[in-house]
Amino acid sequence: MDSKELKHLYWRSGFGINLQELNALSNFSKKQIVDRLILESKQFIPLLIDVNSLKNLSFQEINKSEVFKRDFLKKSREKLKVFNLEWIYRMTNSTAMLRERMTLFWANHFVVEDNNILHFQKYNNTLRAHALGDFRVLVKAISKEASMIKYLDLKQNKKDSPNENFSRELMELFTLGVGNYANYDIKEASKAFTGYSFEFNGKFKYDERNHDNGFKHLFGRSGRYDGDDVIDIILDQKACAQFICKKIYAYFVNKNIVQEHIDSMVSVFYPDYNIEDLMRFVFMADWFYNEENIGTKIKSPTELLIGIQKVIPITYDNPNELIKIQGLLGQALLNPPNVSGWEGGKSWITSNTVLFRLKTASLLLNNGLISVKESGDFYDRYSEAYTKRIKRQFFKVSVNWDDFDESYKNMSFEGIKNQLILTNLNLETEQVLDNLSHASKRDSCIQIMSLPEYQMC
Amino acid sequence: MKRRSFIKNTSLASGLLFVPSFIQAFENTLSSKFGYKRLVIVQLSGGNDGLNTVIPFRDDIYFKSRPSLGLNPEADLCLTDDLRFHSSLMPLKELYDNGYLTIINNVGYPNPNRSHFRAMDIWQTASGSDSYYQNGWLGRYLDAEGEHPYNAIEINDNLSLALKGKQLSGIAVKNPEMLYRLSQDPFLKRISKNFNDAHLNEHNLGYLYKTMITAESSAKYIHETNKIRSSKIAYPNTDFGNQLKLIASFINSRLKTKVYYASLDGFDTHVNQLKVHKRLLSKYAESISMFVKDLQTQGTFDDTLILTFSEFGRRVKQNSGRGTDHGSANNLFVIGKHLKKPGVYNQLASLSNLDDNGDIKYEIDFRTIYATVLNKWLDADTTKILKGSYKPLDFL
Repeated sequence: MDSKELKHLYWRSGFGINLQELNALSNFSKKQIVDRLILESKQFIPLLIDVNSLKNLSFQEINKSEVFKRDFLKKSREKLKVFNLEWIYRMTNSTAMLRERMTLFWANHFVVEDNNILHFQKYNNTLRAHALGDFRVLVKAISKEASMIKYLDLKQNKKDSPNENFSRELMELFTLGVGNYANYDIKEASKAFTGYSFEFNGKFKYDERNHDNGFKHLFGRSGRYDGDDVIDIILDQKACAQFICKKIYAYFVNKNIVQEHIDSMVSVFYPDYNIEDLMRFVFMADWFYNEENIGTKIKSPTELLIGIQKVIPITYDNPNELIKIQGLLGQALLNPPNVSGWEGGKSWITSNTVLFRLKTASLLLNNGLISVKESGDFYDRYSEAYTKRIKRQFFKVSVNWDDFDESYKNMSFEGIKNQLILTNLNLETEQVLDNLSHASKRDSCIQIMSLPEYQMC
Repeated sequence: MKRRSFIKNTSLASGLLFVPSFIQAFENTLSSKFGYKRLVIVQLSGGNDGLNTVIPFRDDIYFKSRPSLGLNPEADLCLTDDLRFHSSLMPLKELYDNGYLTIINNVGYPNPNRSHFRAMDIWQTASGSDSYYQNGWLGRYLDAEGEHPYNAIEINDNLSLALKGKQLSGIAVKNPEMLYRLSQDPFLKRISKNFNDAHLNEHNLGYLYKTMITAESSAKYIHETNKIRSSKIAYPNTDFGNQLKLIASFINSRLKTKVYYASLDGFDTHVNQLKVHKRLLSKYAESISMFVKDLQTQGTFDDTLILTFSEFGRRVKQNSGRGTDHGSANNLFVIGKHLKKPGVYNQLASLSNLDDNGDIKYEIDFRTIYATVLNKWLDADTTKILKGSYKPLDFL
């Protein structure tokens, strides 16, 4: 596999590839590398933070007074920030790269927002556990998660008066997509999901008294269905496999859908719904490595941040620093805009976010300074003036350049550029760079990471 | 001089007394000193419950359908014999009494869609429920009439589809000063200065470059034009309040911006609606009333029209969670000084004649409202922008 293809595969199935890995893998075949990718993600290690101070409580206890409840939520919110940070570190460092990538993908598919860390952590690990497993099991599992039950009002869905919120999004966003179901199907499905509830720690509780045990009629079938039955019926529709394959293609390959590729994906995915098989197929497909698919995806803020810190490890002094940056980039990881999640692609780039995105690497690595020292200049006057003028640190982070200094020490500017950027540079941009001094490898790295081209993967 | 335009001009002239001198000096250099009409869109996201916003407090069906959600507001919130404001809308009562507010009932479109995302796209693109447009109605307005991206500004992290045109899109701004500081980076400036737009294209990287250059020039324009750093008006310190505050400062600085876009989220009240809805309506009404005051003191309310909409109304019958599910037709607010039909424009549709889902039937197509605004306020080519012919209404 050539290095461009390797970098492409690693950016899409993970968050980029470092120099040592690239050198180590370049002699292997595509099949060997894809096998390895999947093998390394076989094991599921839950992401757990310390929640001991919260987990031994109960509903009765925290509902005793508003003060208890508020105190619980306050602590919970702090823990969620820690979880956010740990999740970023996990995605940066995990060897189960594909599993983490899939977890991030599913988190933006089965979207929830939750201020309860116990429930959110459990939910996040359910996504991680099934990330490469059976899609059918995954859908059933998320429907029984406390975070989902709360987020889409399943707890209020009772037999005497159903609440359609979950059933609607189940069909519209999670499985079938608009146009593949009728309003009537939603109404009937919501009857089947009655009686869903949960315990304090987030464990699923089925409340028989609230369940509507009558007949439900949907998609031309009828019976005394429960929620799992309805999910089975929905997944029997080929439209579901088509919908999911399209979404995976748009995320992992290209937003411009090629129907022929989707059809071939569907024939792998349907009717078994094995996610691992599907992903293997995508990464093995010749079209995955087509020119138009390489370096043409706009990185999400999360991909941008992780990509930078995979090259130069960054430690945040506290989670609030990370959350501030995520907010400015437009992706507060635990606060999606709504149940359809982030749209991705061009929508990341607005007049409001683009300049901050371009400055992100320099703000994290060098307090906002991008050197403009020209080749032939003896002094770096701009940098000197900048350092004198800007006294405060914009983001409280520690940066470790050791690995970078070591592995890039003999590399040319051209080499660093090729390692960090997948697409061809714009002609004029190339000229701007040519005129700059390439004496400092660190300055070069920051310059390259500040290019519009670095926003692509 | 016609009597009408004479009155208009003198009222504007007296408004000048309140304008700070630096703005007057600045204003004199602008060619279209006055009569620069602006449109402010306020989007209530999630589907606002119109029935609990403008309340048919004499209707038995209303109370029967909503045993724990039905509201009976005090008499001082009276709009007509049959309708009263939700108590949170008290701050809008003065606007209503002054004839600055038109409430249009039963606004919707045929075969309504009850998905948030699809319904919002329909409203933002002015499409029918059976067609999919790639551009927003205000984006198409920019295509037809605009010159610069800052002719339409959304106060948000992201730009809504509504403001995306084919050739020209509006800009999203949240913190103009930070934007300006970022735009001053010498490295980035070199990249954008040297960029040759012969190489601009539709693909993602081209889009990135284009947005970067737009952001730099817009940041510069706003920084140089926006002279009002802090308003004296006490806006609620909420995200929505801050959005309107920023818009007011842009308007009062006479930015060459025809369209502003603000939004307030959280109206998807499936559960325990009363408390949440009350809070949201307060947020809305308090900020809007401050916004109008701010414009009035600077003489800009005359030339500003505020349109408030939501992607759908909610079901007439409440659900088991003391909330309401997604509905269809809804009411819509138009606020401005030059309304031809202030007050309640049309009667609320009958609650005994609902559609198959138990939702209010639409009477007025939302695109006729857009047509009215485009034609009578922005003086634009309605048919081209709306991709169809819609007869303007007479509220303007």
